[in-house]
Amino acid sequence: MALQDICDFQDIFLDRGTSSLPFGKKTGFNYMRGLPFSNSTSLFNFYIPVAEYLDKSPLEFGQISPIQSASTPLSQDVTLPSLSLPENPLLSSPQPVSLPFPISHGTTTLAFIFQGGVLAAADTRSSCAGYVEGPAAQKILPIHSHMVSTTSGTSADCALWKRILSRELRLYQLRHGRRLSTSGAAKLLSHMLHPFKGTELCVAAIMCGWDGGEVHGHLDDTGGTKTDPGGCTETTKEIDKSVDPSLEKTQSSFSSVGGQQPLAREKRNGSGPCMFYVCSDGTRLQGNLFSVGSGSPYAISVLDQGVKWELTLDEATSIAREAVYRATHRDAYSGNHVDIYHISSKGWIRRSREDLKEEYYREKERRERGIRQIMTLSEENMKQTKMA
Amino acid sequence: MALLDVSGFSRYSELRGQILPAGRTHPVDRTNHYSFGTKTPELALPLGVDPSAFLKSCNQEAGVSIDLNHGTTTLAFKFQHGVIVAVDSRASAGRYLASNDVNKVIEINPYLLGTMSGSAADCQYWERLLAKECRLYRLRNKNRISVAAASKLLSNMMLGYRGMGLSMGSMICGWDKEGPGLYYVDDNGTRLSASMFSTGCGSMYAYGIIDSGYKEDMTVEEAYELGRRGITHATHRDAYSGGVVNMYHMREDGWIKVCKEDVSELIHRYRKGMF
Repeated sequence: MALQDICDFQDIFLDRGTSSLPFGKKTGFNYMRGLPFSNSTSLFNFYIPVAEYLDKSPLEFGQISPIQSASTPLSQDVTLPSLSLPENPLLSSPQPVSLPFPISHGTTTLAFIFQGGVLAAADTRSSCAGYVEGPAAQKILPIHSHMVSTTSGTSADCALWKRILSRELRLYQLRHGRRLSTSGAAKLLSHMLHPFKGTELCVAAIMCGWDGGEVHGHLDDTGGTKTDPGGCTETTKEIDKSVDPSLEKTQSSFSSVGGQQPLAREKRNGSGPCMFYVCSDGTRLQGNLFSVGSGSPYAISVLDQGVKWELTLDEATSIAREAVYRATHRDAYSGNHVDIYHISSKGWIRRSREDLKEEYYREKERRERGIRQIMTLSEENMKQTKMA
Repeated sequence: MALLDVSGFSRYSELRGQILPAGRTHPVDRTNHYSFGTKTPELALPLGVDPSAFLKSCNQEAGVSIDLNHGTTTLAFKFQHGVIVAVDSRASAGRYLASNDVNKVIEINPYLLGTMSGSAADCQYWERLLAKECRLYRLRNKNRISVAAASKLLSNMMLGYRGMGLSMGSMICGWDKEGPGLYYVDDNGTRLSASMFSTGCGSMYAYGIIDSGYKEDMTVEEAYELGRRGITHATHRDAYSGGVVNMYHMREDGWIKVCKEDVSELIHRYRKGMF
């Protein structure tokens, strides 16, 4: 995709001049004409979705006529929405087709900033209307070597937009010789999603990245060109010195001021960890701690309790794991495994996926040991009273 | 209420029935509250009104500006030294804060406590009725009622009015012959026993905290701290919970009120680096 744009490759579909090509089905061709970011001349050519598709359900894309087959059972439903809904241009189509299955989004993702960079964690259960669709989903998707995005919402939407974002960031990097900042990437994603506001698109992502001093011409980041999530390599190398030299200044200033943390945490020279929450309804927020998804209330209180700037990498990992575990314990839509990613000045590192079942048994063991201790203590007490 | 029943005092309505001949009982003379009569259990229903439909009509679309939304956080857990009960103190009516200093724990007797979440009116009325029944039991049987039986009474009251729009989520905590007891009773008639519960819209935040900090072998001070933290973090994230933390400790010799601390001060203590 990126290479195509760079070398001005003229694809038949993208050639604006030949709009009367009778290629393919009518509906299919209209859709193809407006491929996102297809025009190579201007930098950011936003994809405005074809208006008549906004009020049709996703089911109809690429199909000739699904409505006829589905119209009879839905005739009862058809009259009701048009009576009760106010006049909304997006929803004024006469036949709102219901989705084949209710899309529901259950997940727990969280991310926070600490002295060692950004830590992102997520569960791995993908659910579909009450069924567990897959126990091993990938909810944290790397964008490039120094940025990762946790995704929540419809997984198809998230995967597509993440790929589009990766492509655009790569293009930016090739054109300008430096990576786009996390703030810029979040803004880009937010603007890309804006035309779909009010539709069924659902993406809630936390962009976690390290904005760094990029050397001009340094183009061989390992993560940059990888666009398929399956290709992310799991590295077991641990970063021992998790404190970046550029941050040592901030740490010492913190200790001298003693409590003025927000000032000390500001990035020096525009480099350092950064986190943005981007949502398909247009929200774009910067912050130090986010948790998204159906399991987020359970996780966020655990994080509130424990997250501090001075955490070591191990402490931060165990807090993130604990928070996701608590959420998966109480929320039915989260579960299975936990993925933890750490982003530092050297890039992102993924810890091996941990099964939360083990965590559950470990905790059960701990509790049983505690109860056994109580029992033995009370037995000893009873013996003593008997003897006395 | 209890003395009235026990002493056989005949009601005005019965007297009136004897004086005036036959007939039309005035609406006022009908049963005006729920009664666990041993021979004739009575259920009071409003005249001619479908309660659940009426409640459904009390929302923004029908022109009523006061929302009947109820926010709270209450939690309770059993540990080796008894039961800890902690509640917040905020009463909300939609976006309006009705009060920041409501007592959401009803002290049924020195060995029984009930928490309230949901509709404040429902909780206060039904738990007071439960208190009356528990007192009657004590007077009739010379023994205190067990926690299981008390929660069963409340649950049966709820079942009698099932589907009529009651809203109550309560935890009945006590100490009886079996030891510490904790039951969760719902307006649907749910009655569950476990060692940890949290109810209300802030309950999810509280669950995260108490799940991770709970140990069966906690000391009393650790348990107090866990209860305080649970409510404080829930009030920090949930807009409909706040005020003060009211905490009770149910021990073998009865309950004690541990503290009543303002959550704004507590959150500053717990999150020194946050502000």
